[in-house]
Amino acid sequence: MFKKRLTFKILLFLIFTDVLETLTQFCFKKGALSQSGIDIRIFSDIFNFLLGVFSSWFLWLGLLSVVLTFVIWSTVLSKIDLSVAVPIASFSYILIPLVSIIFLQEKISVLRWLGVFFILIGVIFVSLSSKERQHSLE
Amino acid sequence: MKEGLIFIFFLIALTSVCDTINQLFLKSAINSLSLPSPITIIKIIKFIIELIRIPRAWISFLFSVLSLCIWLFVLSKVDLNFAFSIDSMHYIFIAFASKQILKEKVNFKRWLGTISIIIGIILVSLS
Repeated sequence: MFKKRLTFKILLFLIFTDVLETLTQFCFKKGALSQSGIDIRIFSDIFNFLLGVFSSWFLWLGLLSVVLTFVIWSTVLSKIDLSVAVPIASFSYILIPLVSIIFLQEKISVLRWLGVFFILIGVIFVSLSSKERQHSLE
Repeated sequence: MKEGLIFIFFLIALTSVCDTINQLFLKSAINSLSLPSPITIIKIIKFIIELIRIPRAWISFLFSVLSLCIWLFVLSKVDLNFAFSIDSMHYIFIAFASKQILKEKVNFKRWLGTISIIIGIILVSLS
């Protein structure tokens, strides 16, 4: 099956999924923070924790964002190869630390940025390798 | 590393394992269906209805809910940027699962990428 080349429209959609993924994680973090005081010792603590988290509207916004990401992602993948889509979509590995610094007041050291860089390179290599597999199948 | 941090590391690994199992079951369920082109909205709806009638899709859904619950607990304890970086270990699990369970060939580039991810995770954990 032939797939189209990466067009500007698809690129915009891919960047949009990065932003949505970041929004998802930000909402989950916000929802989870409201219950950060709970330590899980007995089984009913798990229930209390989940009840607390799921009553946060941030969490539901996050879940909505997950569904939206899934729909856009599936549509994009029907147009272009996974090996092209994943490297662009892994931009969220940079975006999430940035959002963490700005909106969540987290601190990130140089060593951690270096780690993020290695992970990003790794993700790109792993996704590029799927291209070779597909060609060998054709 | 502190004892609490090791536990969080274990939980993140657990969400990654859940995600991997979720993907394996979903892939297996989708493989048993076919979506004839040209793709239309009606065909997609039919495809989804067929998909949710397969028990394997439900197992996949169950694992993604489990993964979400553990993930939320992790986020309530540690920084988002830390957790998200460490969660990239699911790429490693999927590489191993593809090789061992699905008997897919894992080429040099993929191993190189996997090693780079491992180095990245170690650096993030050390910081």
